[in-house]
Amino acid sequence: MIALSGVAARVGAFMLRDVALTVPAGGYGVVIGPAGSGKTTLLEVIAGLLPVTAGRVTIAGQDVAGVPPEAREVALVYQHALLFPHLTVAENVAYGARDAAHAREVHARLGIDALTARPVASLSGGERQLVALARALARRPKVLLLDEPFSALDPRRRAEVRRIVRQCHREWGLTTLQVTHDFTEAGLLGDVAVLLDSGAVLQAGPPAELFRHPATASVAAFLGAENIYAGVVTERSTAVDGMPRELEFHTSGLVLHAIGDAVPGPAHAVIRAEEIVVARDAASGSARNRVRARVVELATLGALTRVVLDADGVPIIAALTTRSADELALAPGMEVTANWKAMAVHLC
Amino acid sequence: MIGGRSRAGWLSVLVALASSALLLFLVGPVLALVGVGGGAGAPQLLHDAELRRVLGLTALTATGATLLGVLGGTPLAWLLARRAFRGRALLSALLDLPLVLPHPVAGIALLLVLGRESVVGGALLAVGLRVVGSPLGIIVAMLFVSAPLYVSGAREAFAKVDPRLEGVARTLGDTPMRAFQRVTFPLAFRGLLASAVVMWARAVSEFGAVVVLAYNPKVASVLSYDRLTTGGLADALPVAAVLAVLALLPLTALRTLRRDEGRA
Repeated sequence: MIALSGVAARVGAFMLRDVALTVPAGGYGVVIGPAGSGKTTLLEVIAGLLPVTAGRVTIAGQDVAGVPPEAREVALVYQHALLFPHLTVAENVAYGARDAAHAREVHARLGIDALTARPVASLSGGERQLVALARALARRPKVLLLDEPFSALDPRRRAEVRRIVRQCHREWGLTTLQVTHDFTEAGLLGDVAVLLDSGAVLQAGPPAELFRHPATASVAAFLGAENIYAGVVTERSTAVDGMPRELEFHTSGLVLHAIGDAVPGPAHAVIRAEEIVVARDAASGSARNRVRARVVELATLGALTRVVLDADGVPIIAALTTRSADELALAPGMEVTANWKAMAVHLC
Repeated sequence: MIGGRSRAGWLSVLVALASSALLLFLVGPVLALVGVGGGAGAPQLLHDAELRRVLGLTALTATGATLLGVLGGTPLAWLLARRAFRGRALLSALLDLPLVLPHPVAGIALLLVLGRESVVGGALLAVGLRVVGSPLGIIVAMLFVSAPLYVSGAREAFAKVDPRLEGVARTLGDTPMRAFQRVTFPLAFRGLLASAVVMWARAVSEFGAVVVLAYNPKVASVLSYDRLTTGGLADALPVAAVLAVLALLPLTALRTLRRDEGRA
């Protein structure tokens, strides 16, 4: 288990402030956040490479204050691999390996047998990341810290290596914490997600929870929510016999119906693009929210099409399957109906 | 466009002329020295016992000074490259001081501290170590003027090694000393060696501080000066030519090291 409470650390003018997170033993945590938010610094603090100025870091239940990195049973993979340039690939992987058989197994699993005799300088960025991963896994640590370890791999190889790492993590009982910019990766890999910004944790929890119920509008924006509106929440009905409260959210020119326990007053409404259904028929669908809008823009991204709508000056972004968009024969200027359920409106 | 090309052409000519003039100024006297004195210098090396002895002593004392410089300078350079501490800038400035002092002044400062009448010099004499007018004095003078070059070069060599590599080594089980042995030192080695060569070459060529602390026994620079003042240019030329050729050896070694460093 990795647990941090009230952790502060300083690197030059940058500070980590009051960081708290828990990755259970054998769990896979992901840290997401914009560039410069302190993600790498956080990993270095856990690895013992940076001292904490306040708070507590525990690894496997042990307070590691004063425990040097070599005694923490952690391995760290940097985004830029940081292979030892004076050693060959095989020597890099064997550097911290506890036994040669395990190092060979890691070579085989990651498919880097063909690279072993090569000097590090001759490797591509992706190959370097694979070797850095192998070097860390060959150590067989209890805690694996990964700083965007797949960023230089092509998409096909990335998916494969992601699967291999997840497999090693599970089979060897590792506790893993990975930094990523990729929301999909966070959703695919993580049991726990931590959103970091300006050195502070904005929100932590299961990835699905973060995506569906962002704590603030800025968290929603960072997590890629397409429709975020500022407005005022009013209560339409109180909760009766286990039925949720009905709420209204008033934003400029639009009234959204929502349910939940949001407090009346100024707030933000978040609707993910995939929750919005587009229809040509004005009366189509049974969703609580229904507005007429004009198609402004269409952008096809493989299987998905992003549709930008205008509802009396309020922009609405919907994500449809490209097949649906084709069937609807959507085109800029066309009048359509956008529908979404009350429970798709998240108020924060 | 044509005007632009014409201006660029003139600029190239000016750059080439200025570069050639300086190069000729720097290389010309050395080539003249080797050309005029070299013919006599090589045979003289065979039968001039004093010259051979002086060259041997010069190489020996310069090597001694370099070893001492490496021994004390390496940890100091590491400290300056890796640790932030109060007074680091002041310490760096102090280390550069011997480089900017006129070298006879450096010799006088050393004489003040290590001369027979001084406390340290007296104490050393009491245990049988004579600094003034001895090979030890030559080593001390060479060390004083050339060690800052080693420290500066070694500091740069350590600074070039990404400290995160040491961090990775620590997470892979290395203690700080082991990480230094397995990562930092091998990666900085060429830079350290190049700095040691620079220090050795500077020690070999030292005259000002050595002549104040130990005119005798003579080192090569003092011998060439001595022959110039006693026997004139004809006597000094062969010795100077041999010294100029010998000076090419560490310079060539240095260039080779730096070229390899660039490849690595």
